[in-house]
Amino acid sequence: MSDVSATMDLRRRDAADKLRGRTRYTIDRYLPGMLHAAVLRASVPSGRIARLDTSRAARMPGVRAIVTAADAPGMMGIGIADHPLFARDVIRYDGEPLAAIAAVTLAQAQAALAAVDLEIEPLPAALTMADALAPDAPLVHPHWRNYEVLLEGGAREGNVAWEATVVRGDVDAAFARPDVEIVESSFRVGRQNHVAFEPRAVVASYEDGRFHIETSTQVPWGIRNATARLLGVPASQVRVTVPPVGGGFGLKFDLAIEPFAALLARASGRPVRLVNSREEEMLTCLFRENADIRIRSAVTRQGDIIGREAVVLMDCGAYGGEQIFLTTMTAHTLGGNYRLGAVRLVSRAIYTNTTPNGAFRCCNGVYNTFALERHTDEIAARIGMDPLLFRRRNVLGDKDLGATGQVFEADVLGPMLDRMDTLRDSATRPSHRADGRLYGRATTVGTWFVFVGPSAATVNMNADGTATLVTSGVEIGSGSMMQSLPQIVASTLGIPPENVIVRAADTDAAGYDVGVGGGRTTVSLGAASLSAAQEVRTKLLKVASEMIEAAPEDLVMRQGRIEIAGAPGSGRTVAEVATRAQAKNGPVSGTGAFTGTGVPAMPGCVAGHFIDAIDIPVFAVHDCEVAVDPETGHVEVLNYRVVQDVGRALNPRAIHGQIQGGVVQGLGYALHEEVTIGSNGRVCQSGFETYRVPLALDVVPVEISLYEGAPSMGPLGTKGAGEVPILNVGAAVACAVANATGKRIQELPLTPPRVLELLLDRKRDLTLPHIAETWSDNLVRPHKAPQGNA
Amino acid sequence: MALSLTVNGDRVTSTADPASPLVDILREELHLTGAKPVCREGFCGACMVLIDGKPAPSCLTPAALVEGCEIQTVEGLATRSQLNRIQAVLEACDAVQCGMCFPGMVVSLTHLLTTRPDATREDIRAALTGNICRCTGYERIIDATLLALAT
Repeated sequence: MSDVSATMDLRRRDAADKLRGRTRYTIDRYLPGMLHAAVLRASVPSGRIARLDTSRAARMPGVRAIVTAADAPGMMGIGIADHPLFARDVIRYDGEPLAAIAAVTLAQAQAALAAVDLEIEPLPAALTMADALAPDAPLVHPHWRNYEVLLEGGAREGNVAWEATVVRGDVDAAFARPDVEIVESSFRVGRQNHVAFEPRAVVASYEDGRFHIETSTQVPWGIRNATARLLGVPASQVRVTVPPVGGGFGLKFDLAIEPFAALLARASGRPVRLVNSREEEMLTCLFRENADIRIRSAVTRQGDIIGREAVVLMDCGAYGGEQIFLTTMTAHTLGGNYRLGAVRLVSRAIYTNTTPNGAFRCCNGVYNTFALERHTDEIAARIGMDPLLFRRRNVLGDKDLGATGQVFEADVLGPMLDRMDTLRDSATRPSHRADGRLYGRATTVGTWFVFVGPSAATVNMNADGTATLVTSGVEIGSGSMMQSLPQIVASTLGIPPENVIVRAADTDAAGYDVGVGGGRTTVSLGAASLSAAQEVRTKLLKVASEMIEAAPEDLVMRQGRIEIAGAPGSGRTVAEVATRAQAKNGPVSGTGAFTGTGVPAMPGCVAGHFIDAIDIPVFAVHDCEVAVDPETGHVEVLNYRVVQDVGRALNPRAIHGQIQGGVVQGLGYALHEEVTIGSNGRVCQSGFETYRVPLALDVVPVEISLYEGAPSMGPLGTKGAGEVPILNVGAAVACAVANATGKRIQELPLTPPRVLELLLDRKRDLTLPHIAETWSDNLVRPHKAPQGNA
Repeated sequence: MALSLTVNGDRVTSTADPASPLVDILREELHLTGAKPVCREGFCGACMVLIDGKPAPSCLTPAALVEGCEIQTVEGLATRSQLNRIQAVLEACDAVQCGMCFPGMVVSLTHLLTTRPDATREDIRAALTGNICRCTGYERIIDATLLALAT
């Protein structure tokens, strides 16, 4: 129901202000009388709070309010409510908040932190997943049984925060077949820091008995609900608004610092600003989780995958957080890509005494794709088949089953591999470099998804012919709020996209939304916006038909006019019709709502999952060429190519920007972004000097081909395009480096020392003794045992 | 003793500690929030300003050291109604994403445009190593700069 194409080359309207330094992000907000806050954080990974006395700090100059655990009674979490706002009696990670102070200046607040009388008795800590799974491991949550369970079905026990399983078919029988090769691979990946340039920041005030939180977040409604839960107040007492956000990447998909500012604002009666320092961001960032992975496959010599099993250990840090949900994703990232016979997977979120982890662009998918694609190359090598041929033979096609028994629609990955062949072969540049470096190339595939879920939108038609779109969407930098959403509304109403005003998120004004992330903005908010705009269109056409004396179905909306189809220039302007409609029936508006339909899994296949199957799979094919310096171990990326399934591209140029940026972020993950945790439980990389993100000299232009036409329930056939570009970068680089060096790549990032160790054969094969040999010995609860928390 | 600074052509005074980083005086006292204190270590370049025409990270610049200098922030680079050349091409090329690094990028590239009119792609890449961007993957910024140099 649109007379104008929604595909446009629309430029971002927020660019000029951003380029002039005029845009006011949350860190730039100042309110009259505003106080500055700082958070006291623990400096041990595990301990008991023997004394926490704030009376001396309260007398320090400038101090206006101090809050502690007593002020925040609630617990939050996903799946299980295991996370208090402040450590209560027990400290579970280095950096855990103990108290928050608001003072007239930031320096005064920080001085007051130092005046808190604090005594902590250190306790034994489990810093690694191997520590946490040892038989005599200290329990990160000794009272885990007492926590409120928010979603039934996951198995839990001791330091296993959550366990999700998939079992389909008879894996033992597949592995016992005489005609199969059994290939086993182990992998380990470290954490990745989002390094959103705007740190997490909030300005809170307490007005008319309600909290108003202005915050740099991707999830205004999530912040509203979680803050209310922690503070023990009704959610309706919290209003969240969101200024432009200076980068998210999933970091801002979880609650971080908002409740501290809210509590301090209520206690002091003044607005309170709290901004994480860069060091706090580096040390307590909700990193992409580190993971240990074992995959084993039974494959025929002809190249069919008869059986597969895997154990994935995901470090959730001290609290379950998003990792609990992400255990679900393994079924779709390790169990996607390829046609499988029998399969069993277990994905376990493990508590450790380290800073909690969270979601990061293509969460769970990036490392599982690395593991799966390296494993795939090891299979191909074992059976002596060309790895590209093996992929072509096995990638998911129409009616194929995913791990959970989900039936996939249409052939997508196969034609995308063909597209990559064309892209690669049309390159005229000489691939090899005769400078003594080792050359390698690889093509990898990846499957992720669009995180659908509820969204709402309202379109208010203004009498001047403009439309105002009200959603809870947030502009985090991807441009969805600036480009795809106005394009969708504008094309439906036949007005210029510049005439669509997009309202910034305000939970008092817009309906519920899951948040901006998971590639869902254009899909979920887009579908709700489309539906709202269609309602407005219907109403306007009805009024116009009376004005023009033509049937509504004979009318079109284009170029700001409502006119008779086939008679350009006839009819009236949209503004005239809107003015008339407003006078006659009152202001014109439309509302829209959207959520996923919920694709079924095979009955009995999954346990402990939040989603059993994925509504909108998204596929990617990446090709990478590298040169490895045998003297230094340095890996240079020579060429990088991406074929990405986008469903339908509403703004190709904007998507290209996302792909270039996502690939570069992935190159950092693959090659040099390394997070290590010291024996004291503290993250060693405290700033930009020690955590090396990609610089302009590190990267190459990515050759991009957008693959359109794959089925999608997204509006106008769209899929999310910003999330997926990072998906198989680690995989592609690792496979290319393995091909260049002939060495078995089992870990990321491929820093020069690590690559040199491999080249010099000084690196031992990775072993994961904390993963049991027999798959079922890794389970808290046998698959299909009665549900409920163990 | 009050510090006397010239910022974007205006004479201003500050009573801040002379050791205060310039970025804090710009932001907290003058409400020029274009310069972003992203890393405060001099690595990211988001707080870059021109001091007597030369780009410098304002997070590592003590205010006392720039007394009497001409300081230009990103807010001072565009005239009232017009973006400067690099700002205009970055807008036209749809290079901006989250935007936090761009004030610093614009300052560095404005300087590059005037001092290195013959800069090649490699020169631009090298010149940008002090300006980190987490969103864009740099290439579109480099393309835009080449375009600005060519026009």
